[in-house]
Amino acid sequence: MSAPSLAAALAAHGVDARVDARDALAVITVPNAEAAERLRDPELRRAVVALAAQHGFKTVALELASATDDRAALSGH
Amino acid sequence: MEPVLTEAARADVATANPSSADSPRTSTTAREKEQRLVAWLAARPSVILGFSGGVDSAYLACVALEALGPARFVAVIGRSPSYPDAQWDAARALAAQFGIPVLEVNTHEMLDPRYVANPSNRCYFCKTELWSVLRAVADERGFDTIVDGTNADDTHDWRPGRKAAREHGVASPLAELGFTKDEIRALSRARGLPTWSTPSSPCLSSRLPYGSTVTLERLQQVERAETALRALGVEGDLRVRHHGDLARVEMSADRLDTWLAAPNLQALVRAVRDAGFARVSVDLQGFRSGSLNILGAAGA
Repeated sequence: MSAPSLAAALAAHGVDARVDARDALAVITVPNAEAAERLRDPELRRAVVALAAQHGFKTVALELASATDDRAALSGH
Repeated sequence: MEPVLTEAARADVATANPSSADSPRTSTTAREKEQRLVAWLAARPSVILGFSGGVDSAYLACVALEALGPARFVAVIGRSPSYPDAQWDAARALAAQFGIPVLEVNTHEMLDPRYVANPSNRCYFCKTELWSVLRAVADERGFDTIVDGTNADDTHDWRPGRKAAREHGVASPLAELGFTKDEIRALSRARGLPTWSTPSSPCLSSRLPYGSTVTLERLQQVERAETALRALGVEGDLRVRHHGDLARVEMSADRLDTWLAAPNLQALVRAVRDAGFARVSVDLQGFRSGSLNILGAAGA
């Protein structure tokens, strides 16, 4: 499992995301609400899940906010 | 004793298992299985049921009451911090609605360090406590047979709690008679049970990865978060998985489109944060039963 390689694969697929690995769980963070909204598309979600699996992750979650960022729903990079 | 079914309900029950015609084992219709269940129950002097108010035990409680009458049957709710209040309320309401005799007992699995350590066979220790308590109740009140709501589909899953049931002589008539979950839902619908469409809801400890200590605080975080999300309008399957400071929300994949929209996301984040999680995430694959099993032991 490699967070950087998954991040690179996601970027190549047009998804700009930071990836944190928690064992077999990949936690991805996207830069803004618009980027999160793109993931409403089920095909894009399936692609992200498939890429995560190709990089050894068993599940992938989109982080929505950090506790330290109260200014917006989504934390930035 | 024949349950009363509407014509529409008969059609539902008959189609509960469309593949049944191809297999001798499943060629028996759901209604025929129900008749065998009534006979199975009626042959016992008295029956005590571990009752969660979920799909399976609610259905079994109604059939048992019909087969045995209130003097020979009691449903027992085991109360503990891992049993959500909302489910407790629903179980009691259903019992009141259908005249099911209910007894409530407290179980103390949280005092068992083997349970609290949250190993992969955690359910074994929980069920050992539950069935020990029910065995004592049965002995004290003169009940003959202890049953649970395990169905035939459950026997294919990883269910360490079944070992505890076997050790305590607990019978599983729904599994024994080959009832599938779909059949139980169809038969429940035919009886007018509100549980026919209720999503499965295992105990709150199932939201913690194996190896992550079960604490009252963590169970309450999960319960608060799920309650808040339900209040927001999240329907269908829902789990808030507890990964320490991070909550991972699993909901039905077909609802992600709605909840990933910006205004809904903000409300979702607030709800889960208010429940005590510093970080909030949504699983992009959507709900999968036992998703923590595939992740294995994870630090929290």
